[in-house]
Amino acid sequence: MIKGLKIMLVMVELELRRLRHDRTELYFRAVQPILWIVIYGPVMSSVRAIPTGEVPYTDFITPGIMIQTTTFVSIFYGLMMVWERDSGILKKLLVTPASRYSVVIGRSMASGVRALFQALIILPVALIIGVHFIHNPVYFVLAFTIIFLASGGFAAISILIASFMKTRERFLGLGQAIIMPLFFASNALYPTQIMPPLLREISTFNPLSYVVDAVRGLLITGDLSNLLMDLASITIFDAISFILASISFRRIIE
Amino acid sequence: MELAVQTKGLVKVYGGKVRALDKVDLTVDAGTSFALLGPNGAGKTTLMRILTTQIRPTAGEARVFGLDVVRQGSKVRRLISYVPQEMSVWTDISGYENLLIYAKIFGIPRHERRKVIDEVLENMGLTGVQNEPVSTYSGGMIRRLEIACAMLIKPKIIFLDEPTIGLDPAARKVVWESLQVFKREYGVTIFFNTHYMDEADQYADNIAIINQGKIVARGTAEELKHSLGGEIITITFEKGIFKPDIAQEFRKSSYVKDVIVEEEGLNVIVSDAESTLPYLINILRENGVPIGRVSITRPTLDDVFLKFVGTRIVEKGRISDVKHMRDMIRKG
Repeated sequence: MIKGLKIMLVMVELELRRLRHDRTELYFRAVQPILWIVIYGPVMSSVRAIPTGEVPYTDFITPGIMIQTTTFVSIFYGLMMVWERDSGILKKLLVTPASRYSVVIGRSMASGVRALFQALIILPVALIIGVHFIHNPVYFVLAFTIIFLASGGFAAISILIASFMKTRERFLGLGQAIIMPLFFASNALYPTQIMPPLLREISTFNPLSYVVDAVRGLLITGDLSNLLMDLASITIFDAISFILASISFRRIIE
Repeated sequence: MELAVQTKGLVKVYGGKVRALDKVDLTVDAGTSFALLGPNGAGKTTLMRILTTQIRPTAGEARVFGLDVVRQGSKVRRLISYVPQEMSVWTDISGYENLLIYAKIFGIPRHERRKVIDEVLENMGLTGVQNEPVSTYSGGMIRRLEIACAMLIKPKIIFLDEPTIGLDPAARKVVWESLQVFKREYGVTIFFNTHYMDEADQYADNIAIINQGKIVARGTAEELKHSLGGEIITITFEKGIFKPDIAQEFRKSSYVKDVIVEEEGLNVIVSDAESTLPYLINILRENGVPIGRVSITRPTLDDVFLKFVGTRIVEKGRISDVKHMRDMIRKG
């Protein structure tokens, strides 16, 4: 158990070292979310088409956009797994004493770290265009912990996909096919109350909605009434995705 | 003597159809170096992946230092190191960082890490470039870094899948010299797959030739060459006049041990070439076959391979493919 935990930390360390050497990807990936917040947000809020209560529309979508970006990072983390499979890295890792589950969870958490930085980059931009955050360091830390954990779960899902989609092209295709529905069938851009009933049903099974709800409550609205339920959902989602990814991991190299 | 590797009736069938390994029985003594020689698709990599606990055999059993690779996989993994054919280091961090990450994965205690890493860097001649990103390394340096990673734990056995594929002769030599150091100093058993005859000849204590999933010959390089019998008379014919049925005529003679037919001529295996040659030339004259060129050689491993596998290894295209792939991965 302790050994497993150590392996996970080493995987996180590896990711930090890579980030230290090369952060270009981080900057490029920040372009799209910044466009959402700087252009889409203000334009839509001037139309006042979407009821977001007291909260300005741009403030409303900021957590959604942050989480869309981190989910993007995580879902495409599996692409790195496909890459490492084509190279010999995964084979070599599986021949070390490190257990399968510690490699899988460790790599997922490593993706969580990457996602964390991705979310943090957006923060100053949001501040500049006048998004109001709640000034509470505890809320802030909790929100980013949730982003980190949820990203880990999505990365595990991506490793699961990678174990079935063995070429990069197929993986890219499926990744795109998953991420946009996940985003649109969530409360990231609009409250679920205004969705058509069927979509609303679907969104209750969408882990992204719970993450957005928790982070929005902690950073923007201060409404924490669903926080426990959100945390429970995210925990269950992480547990399931870690287990499934660990089971299927061996398939990647076969 | 202790056995490093032992397999009995090992079978691997992929997808219910492709028989990659067909009842392989093999033993490798501890502390020796062993080469598995064979053409593409012969089953070399499959065998290595079973021995390194990556995939399970369909039937039969395999043991590494007495441990069953299926039932005692985690114990096996503590004894072995493995260098896959493909590139297996992270290229966006430095060589030192790669070693540090692997040292931690292997669970080398904190106070020993620096010493162990310095030692493998020194042995592999990478001390000067340890802080450079791996993406700036040459192919040979990357290979040495991979072997350095494998040597961090001083394994009882190291498995190398085509260790020098795509490297130039100078880099190959350096890689092998450093491997020899590990073998000498730590008694590491070396198990390697290769299709380079000279590499098997020069660096392996024992060789097994594998073809279509079966071990077709095994022994030391000398034994294998000896198994062909004495010497080889190579007769090349003038263009377009080669009659393969002349081989039948040769086979009738009691001096001739074997005849291997090639595209442009014959390899005739005899115990004493000088006394047999006039006799063979007579046969050719009687049959009216004009001779282009005659040469006498001692058998090489190449000839052994040709006898057991039936074709020479011609893989120029493949080597450049692998090299290209490794270059691509390196550049990201």
